[in-house]
Formats: sequence, structure tokens, C-alpha cells
Amino acid sequence: MGAAVQPAETPAASTPAAAAPGRVARVRSAAVVLPGVGWLVLFFVVPLALIFVVSLGSRDALDRITLANPSLDNYARAFDPVFIPTFLNSIKFASITTILSLAIGYPIAYWISRYGGRHKVLLIILVMLPFWTSYLIRTYSWIILLRDNGVVNALLQAFGLTSEPIILMNTDLSVILGMTYGFLPFAILPLFVSIDRLDPNLIAAGRDLYASGRQAFLHVTLPLTMPGIVAAGLLTFIPALGDFVTPDLLGGPGTTTIAKNIQELFLAGRDWPYGAALGFVLMIVTLTGTLVALRTLRREVVGGD
Amino acid sequence: MTDRHDGSSIDLEKELVRYMVENRISRRYLLERIALVGGAAALAPVIAACTSSGGAASAAPSSAAPSASASAAAATASPSPTAQPTPEDALNILNWTDYLADDVIKSFEDQFSVKVTQSFFSTTDEMYAKLGDDGGDYDISFPISVDVPNMIERGVIAKLDKSMLPNIVNLGQEWANPGYDPGNTYTVPYMWWTTGVGYDPKRIKEEPTSSKALWDARWKQHISMLDDWQEVFGLALIQQGHSANSTNTAEMDQALALLEQQKPLVRTYSTDTIGTMTSGDVWIGHIWGADRFAIQETIPEFAYYIPEEGGVKGSDTVATFTGSPHPVAAQLFINHLLDAHNSAANTNLIYYMGPNAAAKEFIDPAILSDPTINPDQKIVDKLEELLRLDQSVRDEYLSRWQQLRG
Amino acid sequence: MARDRNRWLSAYALIVYGLLFAPIVVLIIFSFNKARRGLVWQGFTFDWYPKLFANDELLDALTVTLEVALVAVIVSTVIGSLLGLGLARLRFRGRGATETLLLVPMITPEIVMGLSLLLFFLQLFDAHGSLTQLWIAHITFCVSYVAVVVRARAASMDPRLEEAARDLGASAWGAFLHVTLPLIAPAVLAGGLLAFSLSFDDYVVTTFNAGVGSSTLPLYIYGKIKFGVTPEINAISTIIVAVTAIAILIAWRAGAFETGPRQPVADEAAG
Repeated sequence: MGAAVQPAETPAASTPAAAAPGRVARVRSAAVVLPGVGWLVLFFVVPLALIFVVSLGSRDALDRITLANPSLDNYARAFDPVFIPTFLNSIKFASITTILSLAIGYPIAYWISRYGGRHKVLLIILVMLPFWTSYLIRTYSWIILLRDNGVVNALLQAFGLTSEPIILMNTDLSVILGMTYGFLPFAILPLFVSIDRLDPNLIAAGRDLYASGRQAFLHVTLPLTMPGIVAAGLLTFIPALGDFVTPDLLGGPGTTTIAKNIQELFLAGRDWPYGAALGFVLMIVTLTGTLVALRTLRREVVGGD
Repeated sequence: MTDRHDGSSIDLEKELVRYMVENRISRRYLLERIALVGGAAALAPVIAACTSSGGAASAAPSSAAPSASASAAAATASPSPTAQPTPEDALNILNWTDYLADDVIKSFEDQFSVKVTQSFFSTTDEMYAKLGDDGGDYDISFPISVDVPNMIERGVIAKLDKSMLPNIVNLGQEWANPGYDPGNTYTVPYMWWTTGVGYDPKRIKEEPTSSKALWDARWKQHISMLDDWQEVFGLALIQQGHSANSTNTAEMDQALALLEQQKPLVRTYSTDTIGTMTSGDVWIGHIWGADRFAIQETIPEFAYYIPEEGGVKGSDTVATFTGSPHPVAAQLFINHLLDAHNSAANTNLIYYMGPNAAAKEFIDPAILSDPTINPDQKIVDKLEELLRLDQSVRDEYLSRWQQLRG
Repeated sequence: MARDRNRWLSAYALIVYGLLFAPIVVLIIFSFNKARRGLVWQGFTFDWYPKLFANDELLDALTVTLEVALVAVIVSTVIGSLLGLGLARLRFRGRGATETLLLVPMITPEIVMGLSLLLFFLQLFDAHGSLTQLWIAHITFCVSYVAVVVRARAASMDPRLEEAARDLGASAWGAFLHVTLPLIAPAVLAGGLLAFSLSFDDYVVTTFNAGVGSSTLPLYIYGKIKFGVTPEINAISTIIVAVTAIAILIAWRAGAFETGPRQPVADEAAG
């Protein structure tokens, strides 16, 4: 994918606004960024540091956390091959969910933005509305639709596509379906926000230049909406990687994810230090992967940072 | 996730004998007794003192009938404890949703002018995390009996004031001295259950009696197991003739091999058995006995059995905590739960049997007369309580469980 | 040709909206189910609705949920938008670190975040969970989502627009208010909507930070799994969807969502 078209009027994503860092500008930057950074440091980093300390500890005979002999033992334990299959499950489900959410979400976001006219905001709120119900009940609704005697199987049989019910529930398919459903808005919203920013004149110009609509889309629209695609990918992939409730409720015997393992170590195993250590290992792996992917994407698509 | 492990030393056999005896007592007989001994209510604290001093534990179960009716009477009159301190104006309960009947809470609020606030959790481990080292801000919760000794030792659970619990006489005698809390010094038993196998007879057209039915390839993709490592390993171990609480790693490996063999047949590992069974996708599954009643609302024929190889039993307790902000109200509430009517109201709501002997008169006959409450003696003998295992043993199990689920 | 694509796309959009609402239709139908628990239709009843209005615990939980969501949305949208904007538009020391900081809350397993906040409040303030604690926790996990969405929008904004406004004599605040804010408004709205749904449905972080009297709707609902989830939950979900839909409809009729077919300021200025 090339940074093929960067028409003159289009800003490069990374052009800094206040390039001259005067004192006023610095104060202004601080006012903009500090509340968020301060909040996250106080209510996220400090608590995280506490749980990091826990991860160096161990349990006493009554399962209380003790820091008597701090060590990295829990981290050594965390590289247990027992977690490989569940880790791979997480990666698999999160990747497929992200790809599907982007593929399904992009045309919708595009449609809302281009053809939504005066009703854009309404259409966007409608995307979110189903999610203002209980997660659990939504999932039960999927079970009602997907179970052996459910609506989907009834339809398949009515159309003569199958004589016996097909097992849809408790499979990889039902997990992917449930997760894609759940994360679709996380893809649609940032995509919409980014596509909606495009100047229609630009696309028109692109079409003049490339003759075919598809070419214009590939060389103009798609690269220009890349920040939105990256954001949508992030907002889908990362939470999907941590999802364990959907695989639990819609999945089968082989759909356990790594987040479930962590939860089990904390709760069923009552081993906070070990659970915390595994959590940190997972975070470091995910963070590294994400940063590398982002860096590569930005360099290739947006062109330098 | 939803653990219900148990380490109580309740004698289920005695409980069942008592059950049968009492079922034969006519309603009229009981009502007469109640009318007769209504005045005995004032004596309740004395009776309570006698019972809790251990005398009741040794009483012969077969002669339980008279004392049971007497206690039913005392409870029904709901005696006020003598010289009772004034309760605080609030009570904080940490609970499952729907574990207490609305009327039971309402009547307590009205009687003592206490505002009850319930907070909710969905697994016992969440409950323990929230209770912390002194109960957090909560006055009442429902720890599983197996976890009680640990919580006593850590100083989480507060000692009960028996002078404020006259209704404790309502407990069946076999509950007077449970192993996890001798003499019910810190806790009062609340509800008990068994774990076994449930199935839909429309799909399973035979009457299985063994847990091996869960390994039957004919029902491939329609078998479910609980999402609870201790229950699942317990079932496999018992099937292989070992203790559900085995600490022998070779036996654990054997159990794991058995479960690995079963895994391709399994539709799902889930504690939401009410959901999976009623959806029709699961025909036979490893379930908590009491869930059967909820399932029967949808599948009336639904059957439940305790495997002939043996099954698992457990119980919940009710406790108050060392950091309880409303200790008087907490004691009064525990006494309120021990009332026969209230205990029966809770059983009728959730279909779990309580240890309250006096309550049986007021329990829905459909629940009381259920045959699986009175299974074959051979099977009753084989019920085993899941224990709170040592850390290292637990880690061995959890690691095998995660291997199975991977 | 453009019209063709429009038609195909519209049909596609209709299908996707249909799928988004399919489980909601099932959910609404089952709010009229006679069966107390379970997933099988056993006849029509309207009983769950009156029952729901008599259920103080459920209504209290709903109130808490909305209180928490409202505060979380407002605060996280404000500080998250500023953060997203700052990351996209400003060059400052520690920008890379800030970007990483933004990602970490999203990467953190929920239970680690939930228990870390529990420890934090317990150790530092001896607090066992409260409404305030829920506000703080929810704001914390929402900020990143808002910031990422706003950042994506602001990244493709022409900084010269703001400069032009300043050149024309606008104050920094004026330029922000009249140029930048309208430009990022759709992203702020999108971020706020995401934050609302995240907060509204959160279970894991909430369970460890709720205290006496601050159980939310998800805690109430998940607590029901042990004894079976009743159609009351379908009923309350139905009411929420219905009330929201009606509110949206009224606002729509009143013209509250009227945006021009194009972005008025930005496109004209840039084009």
C-alpha cells in the first residue's frame, strides 16, 4: 500500500501544530494533556504498581499475600507451556474478530458517512443502541438463535439446506460470531469518524484521476482513512484479546482463552501473585506486539512519525 | 467458576432418616403441637443453650420426631430473645441475587426497623475477595462450609452470640456440631446440596445410574460438565474409585486422562446448567442437584441422579464478620433466617434444602417428596464432601484443569 | 454507477443493521415469556413488567448503573478528548510514553485492573468499594477508548485551520471552540457512546470496586446465573431500549441530529 496520494491540501497526519514550543504553547500543551495523563498515572499506574509488587510475592499457608521473600519465581512459572493453547486461542479469536469487524464495519461506516445525509448521527446512535442492553441477555438471545432447535437451524431446515440440525452453538463459529457482534461498534465508530472527515471533492478528484471507482477507493479513500482503520483495529483487537466471557458462554470445550486462565489463577486458584505475574507477561507481549505493529503501519501508510 | 466445595461433617444419613420420619408426621399433629407449646417460646434461649452445648449432637436420630415438633413450635412463635440489644438501623448483605426471599428481608426490616442493603456477586471467589480480612463493610454473607476454617483462622468471621440466636434450636440435630465449625460457634448452616448427573428422558431413553453415562459416545456433543475444576476432577476420581479429594498426583493424572478421553464428547464446560439444559443442546450433564428444579420448570420430566459410584455434597453457611458495622442487626438477622417460616420461604424460592428441621412443615411438598432427596442408602453412603485442599495440591489440580481446558 | 453502488451498499447496510438488532428482537420477545427461567418459549405474559417495577433491588441497580455511566462518560470524554487531541496535534516531551500509557489500560486484563484498584483503595484509603470508587474505575478504563477515537480524527485534521483562525484574530480558546471542537465533534460523540456502552455493561472491574449500596445492573444480573436468569432482565433491557429509542426519535424529529450532508467548516475551508 503506497502513500500514493497525499494531495497538497491534505495534511500529513503527524504535522505538529505548535511547532514552536514557546512558553505559552508549553502551558497550553500541559493544560490539554495533563488531566488525562495525571488521571491515568494516579488511578492506573499507581494501582498497577501495587499489583506488580504483589506479583513478586507469594502466599502464606492461609492464602494471604506475603512479601517476605520477594522473587521473580512467579514470572518463571508463567512461561508454562500449559498456557500456549489458550494464548493461541486468544490470538486466533481476536484476529478473526478484528478482520471481520473491519471488513463488515468499513462499508457500513462508509455508507453512513456518504449516504447518511442528515441522519448520520441517528444512524451512528442506532449502531450503539443494541449494546445498551445486558450483555448476558444478548448472549442468551444468540443461544436462542443458534441452538440445535433454534431459529437459524429451523431456517436452514426450512430451506432444505440440512435435514439434521447443524451444531452451531459451542463451536469456534459461535464464539467468533458472538465476538464480532460484540466488537462491531468498536470498529464502526472510529471508521465512521475517520471516513466522515474526508472531503468528497477529494474522492471526486481521485475518481477523475483514476477513472475507476475501485481505483479511486484503493488509492485515495483507503489510505486517507488509515488512521481510522488503525484505531478501529486497536479498539477491536485489544479488548477481543482480553475477552473470556463470550468464549465461556458461547464456546465449547476447546475455546478457553488466556484471560480465563488468568481469572482462574486469581479466583479459583486464590494465587494473586501468580495471576498477576501471568497478567504482566501477557501485557508485555501484547504491548510489544501492538507497538511494533503500530510503528510499522504508521511508517508504511502514513509516512514517518 | 462457581465453586461449591464442602468440608462439613454433616451426617447426611441421619438427616435423611429424620426427613422420612418427619414426612410421616401429619400436618394436624404439628399444628396441635404448635398450639400447645406456643407458650414455650420464652424458654427458647434455654433450649438453645442446651442444644449448642453439644447435647443435641449425640441425641439418637431415630427418636427425633418429638424434639423436632417442639422446635417447630418454638420457631413458629418467633420468640424474641430476652434482653435483646437494640439493632443498628442498617444491615449490609453480600449475596447471590435471589438467594433470599423478598418477604424474609421485608419482614426483618419491618420488625426491627432496619434498612437492608444487598450487594451482589456471581462467584464465591469474588465474595471472598470483597470480604477481605474483616468482611469489608458487610455484615452478612454466605461462605461455603469448606472455606469457613480458613476464614475463622484469618479472623474474618466473627463469633456468634448464641444468646441472640434462640431459633438455633430449629436446626436438625445432625447440624449441631459440623466438622468445619464445631458447635456452630462462628457460623450457622444455611443450605446444602449434592452434585450429580441430570438428563432429559426425552433424549436419553434409558435410566442411567453411573457417571460413566457422561462418557457415552451415543450422546456425543450433547454432554456437559461443570466449569469447576474441583467438581469435575471429583467426579472423575470417584468414578475411578478414588477419593474426590485425592492428593495423589498419579491418581490426578489418571483422572486427567479419563477427562481428556471425555473431552471430544463434551459440548461445553459450564456452570450455567439451567441455560445449557433448557436450551436443549445438552441432553445429559454434570449438574448441581438443586438446579434440577429450575430446569424442570421448562423440562418437567428432567431427571437427576447421584451416580452409583458416589457423588459430592456440600453446604453454605451464613456468617457475620469481625469488621461488621452492624453486629447486633447481623445476629438478629441470622436468628431471623433460622426461623422455620423464613427458612422454608428461602427453600421454596431457590429449591435448596436447608438444615432447618422445623421448616419442613412449610416447604413445598413437591420439593420435600422428591425421590432424589432420599436416594438408595448405598449411594447416600458414598457422598463425599469436597475439601479445601492444601495450596500445593490445589495448584496440581488447577494446572491439570488448565491443561484439560487448553 | 454511483447510484448502483449506493443501492447495493444500502441493502448491505440494511442487512447489517438487521443483524445488529436480531438478538434484540429475540430479547424483547422473551421479555413476554411465561417461563420463569430458561430459554424456551412457554406462552405470553405481561407479568414481568409490573414485577420489575416492584423490584427495588433491580431498580436501585439500574439507578447506580446510570449514575456511574453518566459520570464516567462526561469525565472520560472530556479528559480523553483532550488527551487524544494533544497526542495528535502537539509535540511535547514524553509524547511517545504518553501514547504507550494510553494503550496499557486497554491491554491490561480486566481482573488485573479490577483487583489493582481494589488494592489501591484498600491500602491507601481503607475503602471497601463505593460509588465514588466505581466512578474513578470506570473513568479510568474509558479514557483510553475516547482518546484513541479522537486521536484518529484529529490526526487527519489540517492544523492550518486553527492557525488561520488565530491569524484572523481569534484567541487560542476561540480557535479551539469555533474551529477545532466542531471538527472533532463526531469523534467526541463516538468516544462518548463507546464509553457509555463500556461502563454500562462492565462486570469484572465493577465487582471488585462496588461497595454497599453500589451494586450495578450487571452485578445484579450475573448474580442471577446461579439460580437462573428471569425474564425481568429482558424486560428491563426492553424498557431501556424503548426509552432510548423514543428519546432518539423525539430528538430526531426536533432536528437535534441535523448535520449538513457535508462537514460545513472543514470541507469548505480545506476544499
